[in-house]
Formats: sequence, structure tokens, C-alpha cells
Amino acid sequence: MVTLLIRAGVAGACALLAAAALADDADRHTWTFDVAVGYPATSTDLVPWIEGGEGKLRFDDDGGLAGNHLAAEYRGRITDTLRVKTVFDYADDASAGLDITEAYLEWRPLPTSVNQHTFRFGAFYPPFSLENSDVGWASPFSTSWSTINTWLGEEIRPLGAEWRIRRHVGFAGSPHEIGAFVAGFYGNDPAGTLLFWRGFALHDRQTRLNDKLPMPPMPVFGAGGSVVGVRDQSVEPIEEIDDEPGYYAGIEWRYARRALVQLAYYDNRAYPDSFRDGQWGWDTAFTHLAAQVDLPAGFGLMSQWMSGATYWLIATTPTGMTTPFTELVDDEFNASFLMLTKRVAAAHRVSLRYDTFDFAREETDLTIDSGHAWTVAYEYAATPSLALAFEWLTIESTRDLWPFFYGLPRAATEHQFRLKLSYRLQSPATQ
Amino acid sequence: MQVTRLRAPAVAVALLVAAGSAAAGQGRIAATITDREGAPVPQAVVYAEPLGADVPTAGLPRPSAVMDQKDRQFVPHILVVRAGTEILFPNSDTVSHHVYSFSPAKSFELALYRQGTVHPPLVFDTPGEVTLGCNIHDDMVGYILVVDTPYFAMTDGDGEASLAGLAPGKYRVHLWTPRLKRADLPAPVEVDVADGVPAAFYAQFTAKLSPAHHSAASSLSWSRY
Repeated sequence: MVTLLIRAGVAGACALLAAAALADDADRHTWTFDVAVGYPATSTDLVPWIEGGEGKLRFDDDGGLAGNHLAAEYRGRITDTLRVKTVFDYADDASAGLDITEAYLEWRPLPTSVNQHTFRFGAFYPPFSLENSDVGWASPFSTSWSTINTWLGEEIRPLGAEWRIRRHVGFAGSPHEIGAFVAGFYGNDPAGTLLFWRGFALHDRQTRLNDKLPMPPMPVFGAGGSVVGVRDQSVEPIEEIDDEPGYYAGIEWRYARRALVQLAYYDNRAYPDSFRDGQWGWDTAFTHLAAQVDLPAGFGLMSQWMSGATYWLIATTPTGMTTPFTELVDDEFNASFLMLTKRVAAAHRVSLRYDTFDFAREETDLTIDSGHAWTVAYEYAATPSLALAFEWLTIESTRDLWPFFYGLPRAATEHQFRLKLSYRLQSPATQ
Repeated sequence: MQVTRLRAPAVAVALLVAAGSAAAGQGRIAATITDREGAPVPQAVVYAEPLGADVPTAGLPRPSAVMDQKDRQFVPHILVVRAGTEILFPNSDTVSHHVYSFSPAKSFELALYRQGTVHPPLVFDTPGEVTLGCNIHDDMVGYILVVDTPYFAMTDGDGEASLAGLAPGKYRVHLWTPRLKRADLPAPVEVDVADGVPAAFYAQFTAKLSPAHHSAASSLSWSRY
């Protein structure tokens, strides 16, 4: 209910304020449209997770066009210091249709000292990802994102308020800049559900505010399963379940446009036994470290590291039955990636990324999902509007529960080649 | 030719060298600025305050100046003006800018929402540094240095700057760059300017300069909202 109210409020406020912004300034309202067609080729028998399978990839090997993408980012100016941003996304998969990934108001009061403040209200991503810096939270580096950012795009979308402060240290021209941010939010209570049941993934699908994502066909949910009837066979990661707010906070240091380090902590503060409308709360918290540095000769190095835990229990089922499980899930997850990228003659970019991930129950040595992935990506900006991208992705993973659940081998290797042709239209055309 | 060698923050050592010839009736300071490794420093400000009542400053023109916004940058990145100068802030971009300064020497804001927006010029009459920002584009940084003298120049790519049209007499020569904090700037140096004799002035920043503001393409993204 709270989620619904917040969503309605955000959407309503954005629409009203944007409509109220009556002026003839050239770029008071700007739209960016992204249209892409893709061709994926995979070498795995695993069904893509978005089709309710066990695979980490978004597509299977149908041999046709897929990964087609349609998104639009709207930015509007309401006053000198108040702006609105909304990102629309169209998906043709499990949760089809047009929906919103981000919608927020941003207030940037005019600085009166060296401190610069920025406030955001609405549905937005935490500022954790170094990869997803393009319009609509896309990545300029590769089509499929790292495991960390793929998961942030799937299950992390605060509905709340964020305050950020940044300042140069010492003197005006100082290269040192420090910043801090803190946010309180609703929603995100089921975050961790998909990560646990399916494992880590690498793709470019963002969860939209009203998405219902499929979960793998776990027998525990099926007839005769141990948690039959206690939850939907789908997850709505952005839902609020226990009406308790969560928070995240972080600090950042920058050295000119050469180096950046950010340390953050996120906690959805969900009650691990809360339940509403077929969705359970999962208490998920993690520490996140991100760093990037510009190297000579057009090279850049980027890394993110995440370590956290998720906790879920069923003390009493929604029907009032006491279960034998007091702790169903109490597991720790770690993930990191390192990416080397190089720009060649402004229009070309080559990136190499190594991902590693591990999701395990420590006391029992049970591996929920462990492995690594390599990604090689090439992007070519033929014109400011037209871009061609292709990437090769290989993922090796191990899951101890697979033989029991599906009769699948413990280990799997998934390969994917993806070709993408994208067109961007900006209105008004701004330079 | 006179050469003044400046080492900061130590006291400057002045070297007198044989003077060359120059246009009669025109004093000039030819400055060369290097960093502590001896490499030329572009975009360093050199300005000379006349010392003594025999150097007239009144009646000199006070030209207006322009601080443009182009390709999401302040152009020029550094602007030096004499106190009292009127400065225009056009917007040559198709995107909006919201220029502001909270510097004590000049605090203001200008909402520049469309290409070709014309505001009445602002008068900068208090000497000092003015740091410019854009409340829409975090990466935009610019500086206006307001000085109390008509004799100023900025070094070129070779680290050279020329202050022309000086009347004969003593001058106190200052250096300024936003890439150093004030305490690390070299102490001003007195220079004699003779009529028709260019005074060569060599100075070195002995403190480590912070990286120059650059709009060069990075392989990474730095704007994060």
C-alpha cells in the first residue's frame, strides 16, 4: 500500500510539475529516445531466468532478433533549482509493456558556500554503479553489465529521499573533492529473493516499478514442496512489505577527473518474516566499494566490490501454520569486478571485464552460487546517434542445490555473443 | 634586458642583464613562467601594480570583457580584468546554464536558459578571485581574477606573457593561478621598467601545481547523476 501510494505520488507529482512548467525555453523539456535491436547467440541449454529458467543470461538461442530495447528519458525544469527526471522503458518479456524505471525530483539549491547540496525525491538508483552512467542507466562500456550492477538493476530501487553533499577541499582549484550521501527509503523489501533463488546474473534488464519477475522453478514451491503455497512464484523486488524504511549512506573522494573512490552501505531493514500479497521480506544489507582511475594512453580502470548478507525465515505461514523452519536463508554474498576500458579515436571503445561472485552458507559450506565471468565488449559510435556494439560473455558457475532441485549438474558454463545496433534521438537536439 | 628571477616562497633574486632595444616610449614586461620541473605553465596570470605616484593609472580605458559558455565550459577558463570592468555572460550552447559565484569578491547568479540569452553586463569592481560554477553542470569551472591595475596578461602555451604599454617606473609583479592555494603562490617581486626597454621576468612555481582543468575526453564517465 505504501509502495503504491509512493508510486502514485511520484508519478502524479512528476506529471503535474512537468505540465505546470509552462515556458518556451529551448531545453526546459528534453527527451532522449533509445531504440535498439539486438542479436544474441548463446551456447547453453539453460533457460533464461527472465523466462522462468535457471540461466544467468537474458536470452536463449532462438536465432532471431532479441534484446530489442525501447527507452525514453525525460528531463524537465520546473524552477531554476528544481528538476524532474523520468525514465520510461518498454519490455517484451515476462513483464511486458511500458513502465518506469526511475522517476524523481531533484532539487539543487544554489550553492552559497563551497558545499554543494543535491536532494532527490522519488524512485531512483543509489549512486553506486560506475558502469551505468549513460542515459536511462545504460552502460557506455558494454551491453551486459557486471554481476553487481545487474543485481542493482534487478532488485535495488529505493523509493525515498536522498541528500548528497560535495565540496572541494582546501581551495577553489583544488583537485580534491569529497562528498557524502544518505537516503531513507521505502520499498526494496524482497531484495535478495531473486539473488538467492536464481543466483547472480549478467544482462541489461532493469526492473521497472511494477514488474513481477519470474523465479526459477524451485520444487520447494511446487506441489508437495516444503514452502508450497506460502509465496508467489514471482518476485516484485520494489515492493514495500513491512512498512519499515531502509537506508543507504556513503562517502566519496575524487581527484580531479582522474580518480574516484566510493564506500557505501545499504540496508533495506526488512523484517525477514514479513509477508504481504504473496511477497516476503528479505533482510538484505551490503557494503559496497567502488573505484575508478584514468590511466595514460586512453585507458581507464574500474572496479566495484560488494559484500553482504540476506536473511529470510518463516516462523508462521500466512495461513497461521507454524513451520519447522526458523531460518530458511541466512547467507552471505560477495561479488566484484575489474574492468579495463580503452577509448580509441573517440568513436571506438574496447572493454575487458572480469567478474567474480560467491553466495554461500558459511557454517555448512553450501554453495548457493559461485563462479566468475569474462566479458569482452566493443562499441562503435558511428555517428552521435547511431552505435554498433558487440560483446562476448562467458560465465562459469557452481550451484550445490542444482542436482537436488533440477537434476542438473552442479557446474554450468554459459556463453553468449550479443550484437546490438542502437539509435538515439534527442529532442531538442542539444550539444 | 632586465631579468627578474623569482623563486617562491623564498625571496626573489633579481638579475640585471644588458637591455635590448624596444619601441621608444613603451615599457614592457616579458614574463616566462615555469613549474618546479622547469616546464612552461600556460594560463598563469601575471599582473603588475605600479608603485609610486609618478605612474599614472587614471584615464586608462576600462574595456568590457566576455565570459562565454561554450561546449559546457567557461570560455575563457580564466579571465583577468581590471576592477570596474563590465563582463557579459552570453550562452553559446544549446543547453541551459545556471552560472553562480559565492566568492566574496563577487557573488551572483545568472540563469542562462537559451542560446543567445543576453543579460545586462555585471560590474566587477572588487579586486580578488571569483570562482564560477554552473548549478546544472558540475564539471563547469571558471575563474575571474579582478585586479587593481590595467597591466595584466596570461601566459600562452609556451608559458610566456607580455605586459605592454607600461610607463617607466617601479612595478610590483604578481603571479596567480587557480592551481595553487594562495599561500603557495610566489611572493610578488618588484621590477624596474625603463622607457623603451623590455624587462624580462622569469618566475617559477615551486609548489606542485594541481592538474590543469581539462575538457579532454576521459575513457571513463565522471558525471554521476
